[in-house]
Amino acid sequence: MHATQQKNSARLMTTRPSVTNTSESAEHLAYLLAQVADKQCRAAFSEFFRYFAPRLQAYATNKFGNQQLAADLVQETMTNVWQKAHLFKADRGSASTWVFTIARNTGFDYLRKNKHRLNDLSADELWPVLAEVNDSLDDSSNNSSLDDKLLMAQITSYYKQLPETQRVVIEKIYIEGLSQQEVSTSFNVPLGTVKSRTRLALQKLREMIDHD
Amino acid sequence: MIKYHPTDRLIEQFSAGVLNPALSVIISTHIDICPRCQNVTHDAEQFLAEQVMQTQVKSLTPELDQQFDQMLDQILNAEAPTNIVEFPYNEVLHLNGKTFKLPATLARQYKRIGDWSRVPGKMLKAPINLGSNECINLIYMDEGSRVPEHTHKGNEITLVINGVFNDEQDEYRDGDFVMLDQHHQHSPETRDEDCLTLATLDAPLHFTSGLARLLNPFSSLFFK
Repeated sequence: MHATQQKNSARLMTTRPSVTNTSESAEHLAYLLAQVADKQCRAAFSEFFRYFAPRLQAYATNKFGNQQLAADLVQETMTNVWQKAHLFKADRGSASTWVFTIARNTGFDYLRKNKHRLNDLSADELWPVLAEVNDSLDDSSNNSSLDDKLLMAQITSYYKQLPETQRVVIEKIYIEGLSQQEVSTSFNVPLGTVKSRTRLALQKLREMIDHD
Repeated sequence: MIKYHPTDRLIEQFSAGVLNPALSVIISTHIDICPRCQNVTHDAEQFLAEQVMQTQVKSLTPELDQQFDQMLDQILNAEAPTNIVEFPYNEVLHLNGKTFKLPATLARQYKRIGDWSRVPGKMLKAPINLGSNECINLIYMDEGSRVPEHTHKGNEITLVINGVFNDEQDEYRDGDFVMLDQHHQHSPETRDEDCLTLATLDAPLHFTSGLARLLNPFSSLFFK
């Protein structure tokens, strides 16, 4: 009975030697990632990429038996690292582990997508490594601030779609807090024009929100 | 206290992303509930990552080197995504006049939970549609339910999400991960409490005792 299970067995990895002789120290890799997250530092990312790309390429080639698919996995994984470095939490594990989990997820989806099925389980549902909501799962009381964050991100993307003249006016009034009169004076534009641009911009934002 | 866990080997395979979807979902759900297995998973991911990073990188061929240069360039110059992908999440399940809190893995997949249907013996089931032709169900056993004694033509894996059920061997509670193969014979039942489980079967049940054998032609009505 229950031959395939175990009761409270010893921890998994205790007998395995840990790896210390990698060419880049874990601290340095975490530091590079922090530079990417905080400052979008291209030099730090380039160094990070140079370290991981060949290793991921070897991992994925071994997994798929296909160089091109492997290169796609490297590119997708490292693109996520570049764009979502802020989601890395150093207190939860090493930079290498984080990169591995992104690559693992990408590979999991590749194997399923190859079967051309739309409704397949996706890796995000098992391992939400890149979900912005990760933190809120630990504490559901954070949900409202999360919603605010999502809303802000969404509004930012709408806002970028406004025509330049309207966007500038909205920025001055709603972000910098100028009055319509002050905007009119500082841009040397008639007050009526500032008012109509404000109204048109708000109307357009409204439409974008409603249609979403 | 959770008594039954997936083997460390299974958790390592799960962490490597090489298990099929149904088994992955059950193990992932167990990990949501089980602090011990969260630690095992953490270690497994770290171990697997170290293996990848340990790969001896031979000097790159000029072609690959050039390919990486181009790739780096493309990544650094790609447009940042402006759309935020929202991950659906709903951890509340209303069933039989009760409210259950789904573990995170299932809460992320609530849209995959199909319609509930009755199963002989005061039970309800709903399939989880993983798009993979696998058979995985949420199974609700009201108090005092009983599945006739049966063996399995394949493997049966059951995870207790909430409640308690018994078979001849033991009592299983929240988080217990019970894996049975075709050599096992059992008749699960609930007593004073109800029980919500997540279960996968890779072949129909095979009823072994008395009149219940008459059910065999219809055993797919049960859980598969």
